Amino acid sequence: MIAAPSLAFLAQWTGRHSALDPAGPQAERIGDLWWLMFWISTGVFLAVLTALLAAILRRRREEEDAPGPIAPEARHRLTRVVAGAVGVTVVLLFVLLFASVGTGRALGSLSSRQALTIRLTGQQWWWSVEYQDPVPGRMVTTANEIHIPTGRPILVQLESRDVIHSFWVPNLHGKRDLIPGHKGEVWIQADRPGVYRGQCAEFCGHQHALMGLLVVAEPPEAFAAWLEAQRRPAAPPVTPAQKRGQKLVETLPCALCHTIQGTAASGKTGPDLTHLASRRTLAAGTLPNTPGHLAGWIVDPQSIKPGNHMPANTLQSEDLQALLAYLGSLK
Amino acid sequence: MRERPELDVSDLPTVAFGARASIWWGVVGLMAIEGTMFAIMFASYFYLRGNAAEWPPTGAFHPGLGLTTANLAILLVSMIPMHFAAKAAHREDLAGIRRGLIVATVLCVAVLVIRAIVLSRLTYRWDSHAYGSLIWTTAGFHTLHVITGLLENLLFIALLIKGPVEDKHLVDVRVNTLYWYFVALSWVPFYVIFFLDPGLLDLSY
Amino acid sequence: MSVAEIQETEEGYAGHAAEERRRLEKTWAFSSGFFGWFMEVSHTALGRRYIATAMILFLLGGIEALLMRIQLARPENGFLDPDLYNEIFTTHGSTMMFLFAVPVFQGLAIYLVPLMLGTRNTAFPRLNALSYWLFVIGALLLYGGFFLNTGPDAGWFAYVPLSGPEYSPGKRVDVWAQMITFSELSSLAASVNIIATVFKHRAPGMSLNRIPLFVWAMLVTAVMVVFAMPAVMLASTLLAMDRLVDTHFFNIAEGGDPLLFQHLFWFFGHPEVYIIFIPALGVVSAITATFSRRQVFGYMAMVLSLVATGFIGFGLWVHHMFATGLPQLGQSFFTAASMMIAIPSGTQIFCWLATLWSGRLRLNTPLYFVFGFVAIFVLGGLTGIMLASVPLDLQVHDTFFVVAHLHYVLIGGAIFPLFGGLHFWFPKMTGRMLSERLGKLGFWLLFIGFNLTFFPMHKLGLEGMPRRVYTYLPETGWGDLNLLATAGGVVLGLGVLTFLINVAVSLRSGEVAGADPWEGETLEWAIPSPPPPYNFLHLPTVSGRSPLWENWEEQPVVTGVESHRREVLVTASLDAEPDHRDILPGPTIWPFVLALGVGVTFIVAIFTPWGVPIGAVPCAIALVAWFWPRGDMGRYELKEKS
Ligand code: HEA
Ligand code: HEA
Ligand code: HEC
Ligand code: CUA
Ligand SMILES: [Cu+2]
Repeated sequence: MIAAPSLAFLAQWTGRHSALDPAGPQAERIGDLWWLMFWISTGVFLAVLTALLAAILRRRREEEDAPGPIAPEARHRLTRVVAGAVGVTVVLLFVLLFASVGTGRALGSLSSRQALTIRLTGQQWWWSVEYQDPVPGRMVTTANEIHIPTGRPILVQLESRDVIHSFWVPNLHGKRDLIPGHKGEVWIQADRPGVYRGQCAEFCGHQHALMGLLVVAEPPEAFAAWLEAQRRPAAPPVTPAQKRGQKLVETLPCALCHTIQGTAASGKTGPDLTHLASRRTLAAGTLPNTPGHLAGWIVDPQSIKPGNHMPANTLQSEDLQALLAYLGSLK
Repeated sequence: MRERPELDVSDLPTVAFGARASIWWGVVGLMAIEGTMFAIMFASYFYLRGNAAEWPPTGAFHPGLGLTTANLAILLVSMIPMHFAAKAAHREDLAGIRRGLIVATVLCVAVLVIRAIVLSRLTYRWDSHAYGSLIWTTAGFHTLHVITGLLENLLFIALLIKGPVEDKHLVDVRVNTLYWYFVALSWVPFYVIFFLDPGLLDLSY
Repeated sequence: MSVAEIQETEEGYAGHAAEERRRLEKTWAFSSGFFGWFMEVSHTALGRRYIATAMILFLLGGIEALLMRIQLARPENGFLDPDLYNEIFTTHGSTMMFLFAVPVFQGLAIYLVPLMLGTRNTAFPRLNALSYWLFVIGALLLYGGFFLNTGPDAGWFAYVPLSGPEYSPGKRVDVWAQMITFSELSSLAASVNIIATVFKHRAPGMSLNRIPLFVWAMLVTAVMVVFAMPAVMLASTLLAMDRLVDTHFFNIAEGGDPLLFQHLFWFFGHPEVYIIFIPALGVVSAITATFSRRQVFGYMAMVLSLVATGFIGFGLWVHHMFATGLPQLGQSFFTAASMMIAIPSGTQIFCWLATLWSGRLRLNTPLYFVFGFVAIFVLGGLTGIMLASVPLDLQVHDTFFVVAHLHYVLIGGAIFPLFGGLHFWFPKMTGRMLSERLGKLGFWLLFIGFNLTFFPMHKLGLEGMPRRVYTYLPETGWGDLNLLATAGGVVLGLGVLTFLINVAVSLRSGEVAGADPWEGETLEWAIPSPPPPYNFLHLPTVSGRSPLWENWEEQPVVTGVESHRREVLVTASLDAEPDHRDILPGPTIWPFVLALGVGVTFIVAIFTPWGVPIGAVPCAIALVAWFWPRGDMGRYELKEKS
C-alpha cells in the first residue's frame, strides 16, 4: 500500500490542481474559452429543458383525442419555431467555432528565439528531463520535476522511449502526446511562481495512474541558481556511512539502471539520481521525498507502484541506512 | 371477421434478376464492405509511404513487370467468360453457363499459379519491413478472394453437372459474376501502386 | 400490378382464415428441440435472443462498472490491483461498445424491422442466425479470456505500441483483437440483412417516404456499419498480425507507424458512436409518436437529419486525436465538422419537442425515458461541442470530462431510449405488460443515479483527473466527488435491478397485453402479441405513414402468396410495388456450424497461424452445405435434373 503522505507534501502544491486555475497565458486563454462555452451551453440546455417542461405541462384544450397527424395550423406555427431554433443553433455554432479557432491561433503564437529548451522523455512510468545546452557538458539531466523560470516561454520537446504517454500540466496548458518515433513539441509559460502538478494522461500500462510530475516555476534568479546546482556532479560522500552508501550503489544492481554523475553508476533505465535529494517527490510524484519513503521505495518498490520496472532489494539494515545516508546527501 | 379488399399477387414470378432480387442487394453489400476494406488498405499504403525515408526499402526488387502485368491481364480477361455465363443464365442455357464457368475457372487457376510465382520472387517477407507487410498482406487478402471465387465457380460447375438445378441458381450465377468482376477489378489499383511504382521499376532484376 | 388495382373477391378473408392460419403455422413453425435451438432462423426468435444475450452482457459490463466505482471511491483504495483494474475497464468498455450497445439495437432491428415493414422474416434468415452465433462466440471469447486471467487490458481502443507485441506479451490483446473480428463480422452480416430487407421486403404501398422513422434509423445505421466496420476489422487484423506473424504495420523501427492504428481505429470509432446513437433516435421517434398520439413533426427533416448525421459522422474521426499534434489547419476542419453535426442533432431534438408540444401526451413509462433522453443527451451533446474545440479538448482530453461526455451521450442518448423501447415493445415481444409503477420507479432511480454518477465527473476532469487510473493520491482532492459518483453508481444499479424485477414479475404474472396496448402507429401492432411465427396472417399493404391510424380496417391485404412454403413478397426498392415472390429457407444447422468454423479459425490463430488453414476446412464444408440445394422441390422450380 502507498504510505500515507505527509501534510508537508500537500502544502507543496500551490493553488488547485485544475485547468480552471490558470498560472500561465495559455491555460488562461483556454479558461476564457471554457467559460464562454460553459455559459452558452448552459443557456442552450436551460432553453431546451424549459421547452420540454412547457410541452409536458401545457394545458390542452379538450379537443379530439384520435391519433393522427399534427393539425395543419399548428404545424405551420411549429415549423416557424423549429426553423428559428435551428437558425439560432447555426449562429451559436459559428460563435463557438470562431472563438475556438481564435484561441487556437493565440495558443500557437507563443514562441521565442532563444527559448530555454527542455527535452522530456516519457517511459513506463516516469519522466526523464534534460535541459538542452549547446555545450554538451552543461546539459542537465533530472527526472520527474521540471524547473522553469517565470514569465518566459519554454520549449518542451517531447519524446517517448516505449509507449505513448501524454504531458499535461492543467494549470499551464493543455496536453500533448509523446509518441514513439514522432518528435513533438509544446510551448509553455508560467507567469505565477508556484509548484504545479501534472500527470501522464495517455493510458500507458500498469502504472499510468502514478506517472506524475511537478513543474516548479520560480523567479529567473532562483531558477538560474537551481540550474547551476544541477550542473554539478554528485556531491562527494563525506561521512563514513555516506561513503559506504556510495560503494553500495556502485556495487548493487542500482548502478545498472541509475546514473549518478561523478560515480560509476551510469545506468539509463531508471531516473537520474545525481541530485535526488533536491527533488520534492519520489517515483514520479507518488511519494514525498523523505528518508522513510525512500527506504520503503528501495526495499519494496513493487508494493508502492505494482508492476513498475524497479525490482525489490533485500538489504541489511545497516546497508540500507548507509544507502539512505548517501542518497540523502545528493542535494 | 370482416371481409377486406385484397391484392392478389399469385401471378408474380418467383425469381427476378439484378437489382430486383434480394440476393443482389446482399452481394452489393458484401462488395461495399470488401471494397471499403481494399480502399482502406490503399490509403494505408500511402500513409506509410508518406512517412518513409526510403520507399521501396533497399533490397526490394521488382518481381518482374511482365509477370505481374500478365497476371493482371489474365485476371481481367477472365471476366469475359464470366460475362457469357451470366448471359447464358439469363437465357436459361445451362450448357452455356457451364462453358463460361469452366473457361473462367481455368483462367483463374492460371492467375493463381502466376501469383504464386510472383510472390516467390519477392526478395523480402512480410516480417522484413512495413513495406513487405503491406504487399504480402494485400496480395494475400486479394488472393484469398481469388481462391474463394475459384471455389465458388467449382461449386457451380459441380451443381450444374450433378443437379438438381433450380431456377434460383440462375440468379445466383448472375450475382456470382458480379462478384467476380469486383474481385478482378479490385486488383487494378494495387497493380498500379505496387508494380508501376517508378522507384521500383528501376530495380528490376 | 399495384395497390390501386385491388380485386374485391367473394369468399375473401374470413373463409380462408382458419385454413390459412393452420398452413402458415406448419410452414413457418419455430424449430424445436435441443438441436432445433441451434437451427432457428426466425427473426422474432433470433431478435429476442439477440436482445436477451446483449442484456446479459450489459449486466456483466455494469457489474464491472460497479467494481471500478468501488475501487475509485476512495484515494489509494486497495480493492483492485492495477492489473485487474486495467482488465476491468477494458472489458467494461469493450463489452458495452461491441457486445452490448451495437448488438442490442441490432437485435431490436432484427425483431422489429420485418414487423414494421409487414413481412415474414428478414431477407436472409440464415445470415441472421450466423450473425447471432458469431456474436455469441465473440462474447464467449472475451469472457473466457477474462475468467482465465487473459482478459484484454489495453483499453477499448488498444493503442499501439502499448498493445503491440513488445509491451503486451501474452494473449490478452489477441483476445481483444479476435473478439473485435467476431463482433464486427456479426454486425456486418446483420447490417447487410437489414439493408436488403428494407429495400426489398416492404409491404406494397410503403414507398420510401412512408417508411417508419425507426426503420430509417436502422437503415442509416446499417449503411454506416458497412462503411465503418471494415476499418476496425482491418485495424484489429493488422494488430493481430503484428503480434502473431511479426508484420510491422505499427512498428516504427521498421517503417510502420503507431498513428496509423489511431486513424484506422477512429475512422471506425467515431461512426461507431453514431451506430449506437442513431438506432436510439429511431426508438425515440417511435415512442414519441405513439405517446403523443401524433405523427412525428417534420418527417422529411428527421430523415434528412439521420442521413446527414450518417454522412458527417465519417468526417470527424480526428477529433479523438487532437493531442497527437496534427497540423493546425486540419484540426480546424475537424472542429468545424464536429460542431456542424449539432445541426442535425438539434433539428431532431426540436422536432420531437414540437411533436410533444402538439400531442395529446400519455404519460407512460416509455415516454418518461424519452424525457430523460432529452435532458441527458442534450447536456452530453453540448459537452461534445466543447470537446470538438481543439484548445479546450487539449485540456480535457483523456480525463474524466471525456468519461462524463461519453456516458451522457451513450447512456442518455442510447440506453435511456433503449429502456424506453424495451418498456414499449415488451408487450409485443412477450404478450404481457410491464408494471407502470415499477417502470416509473426504475426510471427515477436510473435518472437520479445517472446524474449523481456522471455529473461530478465533468468537474473531476477539469480538476485534472485522467481517465483509466486505478487510483489517485489523496492530495489531489478528487476523493469526495468520486465517492459521490460511486454512490450514484449504486443508485443506478438499483434502477437496473428494478427493471429486472419488473421483467421477472411481468413474465410470471403480468397483465395480458393484447395485440395493441398502446394504440400504436406502425404495423407491428396489427398482429397478436407475441407475434405468431409467420407474423402476418395476410401480408398487409399500406397507404400512409401511420398505417394503424389511417383506416386500417379498409386497407387491402395481400393474397396469392403460397403458404405451403416460406414464401414472401418482394417489392420494388423505391415505390414498393409488388415485384415477385421469394422463397425463404427454413431451419438449418449450417449457420451455426459456419460460426463455429470461423470461431475455430480465429481462436486457434491466436496460438498458431495454422489456425487459418485448419479453420478453413469446417468453414468450407459449412458453406458448401449451406448453399447446396436441399432437393426440396417445393422451394423452387426445377430447371434441369441430370
Ligand atoms: C452515443 C454516442 C455519442 C454521441 C451521440 C456523441 C456526440 C458527440 N460527440 Fe462524442 N464521444 C463518444 C460518444 C458519443 N459522442 C464517446 C464514446 C467518446 C469517447 C471515446 C473514448 O475516448 O473512449 C466521445 C468522445 C468525443 C470527443 C473526443 C474527446 C477526447 O477524447 O478528447 C469529441 C471531440 O470532439 C466528441 C464530440 C462529440 C460531438 C461534437 C458530438 C455531437 O454529435 C453532439 C451533438 C448534439 C448536441 C450539440 C445537442 C443537441 C443540439 C441542440 C440542442 C442544438 C443547440 C446546440 C448548440 C447551439 C451547440 N466526442
Ligand atoms: C454503452 C456504453 C456504456 C455504458 C452503458 C456504461 C455504463 C457505466 N459505466 Fe462506463 N464506459 C464505457 C461505456 C459504457 N459505460 C466506455 C466506452 C468506457 C471507456 C473504456 C475505456 O477507457 O477503455 C467506459 C468507462 C467507464 C469508466 C472510466 C474508467 C476509467 O477510465 O478508469 C467508469 C468509471 O466510473 C465507468 C462507469 C460506468 C457506470 C457506473 C455505468 C453504469 O451505467 C452501469 C449501470 C449498470 C449496472 C450498475 C449493472 C446493474 C447490475 C446489477 C444491479 C446486478 C444484477 C446482477 C445480476 C442479477 C446477476 N465507465
Ligand atoms: C532494473 C532496474 C533498476 C534497478 C536495479 C534499480 N532501480 Fe531504482 N528505479 C528504476 C526505475 C525504472 C525507476 C522509476 C520507477 C517509476 O517511478 O515508475 C526507479 C526509481 C528509483 C528511485 C526514485 C527516483 C525518482 O526520482 O523518483 C530511486 C530513489 C531509486 N530508483 C533508487 C534505486 C536504488 C537505491 C537501487 C538499488 C538498491 C535501485 N534503484 C535499483 C529502475 C531500477
Ligand atoms: Cu504514461 Cu500514462
Ligand atoms: Cu467522435
